[in-house]
Amino acid sequence: MTIQAQANGPVTPVMMAGLAGLVVSLAIAFSNLMADGHAAFNTGSDGVIWGLPVVNYVFFALASTGLTLVASVAMTFGSQAWYPLAKRCVWLSLVTLVAGFASLALELGHPFRMLWAIPLNFQPTSPLNWMGLFYAVFLVLGILKFVRIHVGDWNSPASKQIGLAALVTELLAGGMLGMAFGAMAMRPMWYGTLVPLYFVLTAACTGGAFALLVTYLAYGKDAAMPDKVRSLIRGPLPMAFAALLGLTILVIGYRTLIGLWSNADGLQVWDHIVASPWFWLEAALLVGAFYLLLEKKALAAAALMVIAAFFIDRYFFVVGGQLAPLFKGAWVPELIPYSPSMTEWMLTLLAFSIVFFGWALGEKMLKLEAAPQGD
Amino acid sequence: MAKWGMVIDLEKCTGCQACSTACQMENNRLPGENYQDVLYYTEGKQPTPQLKWFPRPCMQCEEPSCMHVCPTRATYKTEDGVVLIDWNKCIGCKYCMIACPYGVRFYTDEKPLVEPNVKAVFNGDRKLSWNPPYKGPQQDAAKGIGIQPDGVVSKCTFCYHKISKAPKGTPDLDPANPELVEYVPACVRTCAPGARYFGDLDNPNSQVNRLISDKQGTRLLDHTGNKPQVYYLTGAGAAGSAVPGTRAAKA
Repeated sequence: MTIQAQANGPVTPVMMAGLAGLVVSLAIAFSNLMADGHAAFNTGSDGVIWGLPVVNYVFFALASTGLTLVASVAMTFGSQAWYPLAKRCVWLSLVTLVAGFASLALELGHPFRMLWAIPLNFQPTSPLNWMGLFYAVFLVLGILKFVRIHVGDWNSPASKQIGLAALVTELLAGGMLGMAFGAMAMRPMWYGTLVPLYFVLTAACTGGAFALLVTYLAYGKDAAMPDKVRSLIRGPLPMAFAALLGLTILVIGYRTLIGLWSNADGLQVWDHIVASPWFWLEAALLVGAFYLLLEKKALAAAALMVIAAFFIDRYFFVVGGQLAPLFKGAWVPELIPYSPSMTEWMLTLLAFSIVFFGWALGEKMLKLEAAPQGD
Repeated sequence: MAKWGMVIDLEKCTGCQACSTACQMENNRLPGENYQDVLYYTEGKQPTPQLKWFPRPCMQCEEPSCMHVCPTRATYKTEDGVVLIDWNKCIGCKYCMIACPYGVRFYTDEKPLVEPNVKAVFNGDRKLSWNPPYKGPQQDAAKGIGIQPDGVVSKCTFCYHKISKAPKGTPDLDPANPELVEYVPACVRTCAPGARYFGDLDNPNSQVNRLISDKQGTRLLDHTGNKPQVYYLTGAGAAGSAVPGTRAAKA
C-alpha cells in the first residue's frame, strides 16, 4: 500500500463544524420529537405524507450508491488512474448511507419494531423491503471491503469479489429505491419504468460530486495534491463527470417538459415546480457546474453546486409527487401546501453533519488517501 | 366464507355526512380523521352551477396496493375480504398511505387535522392517539380496531368488530332487519336515505350483487387495478364520472 501525501486541507474545521452540527441538530430534533412526536413535522394524512426526512434519505442513500460507482471505476473496472479516490469513496459511501438511515429512522413511527417486524414478516412484493435488504447487505459488504483495503488487500480475488458484490447490491438498492416511487401508478408524477434508471444516473452525479468535494477538502488546493490525485482531478474525473452531468441535464429537462406537456391528473404539479425559483436555481447550478467541469475550473465549487442542485431535485421529486391532491373537493386546495418544519430541517442538518464529521474522522484516522502499491 | 362488499347509491345519497359522524363515534376517531368522509364539489358557474358530493370509505380492494407495499405484512386481507392493519406490526413507514389511490389511511402522530386539538385535552400519554371520554366496546390491535396507538397507520375496517360476528351464510347485512342490525357497519346503519347496502359479493343472490347487476354498479378508479369491493350506483355510467378530476375546470 502506498500512502500518498497526507491530507492537509481543512479537515479539522470540517470535523468541528460537523460535530457542532451533530450536537445542535440532535438537541433540537430530539427535544422537539420528545415533546410533540411526529407532530413536530409538517407532514399529514391529508397532506404531504413523506416530507423532508424522506428527501434526506433518498438524497444520501443515492449518494452512497453513486460513491460506490465512483469507487468501482478503479476497483471493479480496473482503471488505475481512479485508485487515489477509491478508499475515500468506499468510506464515504458507508457514511452517507448511515446519514440517510439516521434521517429515515427518526421519520418512522416505530424504527425499533422494524428490526424484528420486517425479518419475521417479510413482504416480498414491497419494493421498500428489497431496497432495505440491498442497502443492509451493502453496508456489510462495504465494511468488509473497506477493512480489506485498509489492511492493504486491494486486489486479491476475495477483495475484488466483495467489491463487485458491493457494487451490484448498491445498484440494486438504488434501483429498488427508484422502484419504490416508480411503481406507484396512482401517483403519476412518480410513475414510470425508467425511474430506477433515473435514480442510478443521478446517484452517479451526486457520488461524483461528493468524491470531488471531499478530495478538495482533504488537500485544500490543487498544488497540495499528490501528482496522481491531481492528474485524476484535472483529467479524466471532470470529463467523465461532465459527460454524466450533461446526460442528466438532458433527462431532467425532458422529464420537466413531459410533465408540463401532459394533461394527466396529478402532473399539474409541474406548473408549480417550474414557477418556483428553486427550480431555476437547480437548473442554473447544474448548467453552471457542467460548464465549470468542462472548463476544469473551480471544481470544488462545481461539486458543491451539483450537491445543492440534486438536493433540490430530490425535494421536488419526493414532495412534488404528493402535492396534487388525490381527489378534488370543496375544502381541498389545488395543490397541498407544505414547507418543512424546523425539526425536519434539523434532520437535514443531522444527515449532512454525519457525512462531514464521518468523512473528517475517516480522513484523520483511517488513511483515506491510501492507494494500492505501485499505482 | 363471505366476501363483504358495499354498494353506495349516489342517486339516494344526500351528502348529509351522517355516515362520517357515525364512523367517528363508532371507531373513536379524532375530528377530521373519521375513516370515511363525503367529498363536495362545486362545478360550473351561475346560472348553471352544480353542487356534487361523493361518499368515500376505504374501498377494501381485492388487490390492495396498500397491502402489497407494506414491508411487515401489517396490512393484510382477511378471509372474508376485509383489509385490516395489525397495529402490533406496523412500523409507521406510511408507504401504504402513499400507495392507496383513494387517500383513506391515517397516521396518528401528526398535527391535528381540525382545531382545536382535542388530543391535547384528552391526552393519550403517547401510547394512544387520544383518550376520549367515550370509548368503543372493543380494542383489538391485531385487527386495527379501537383507539389508534402511537406511530401507526389506521383505516376503515368495515366495522369488522361488528360484521365478523354476523351469522355465517348471511347474504346481506340489512339494517332494516332487527336480527342483523347489530352486525351492520355504522355508516350503513345510520344512512338516513338508505343509500348504503352491505352484503356478500360472493353470493349471487345477495342484494348487493343484484343492485350491482341491475343498476350497473361501477368502481372508483378501476383503472388502478385495485378492484374495490365498494361499488357505486350512479344512474349514469362509471363512478369516475361522479368525481371530477383535480384538473377539471375550476368553478
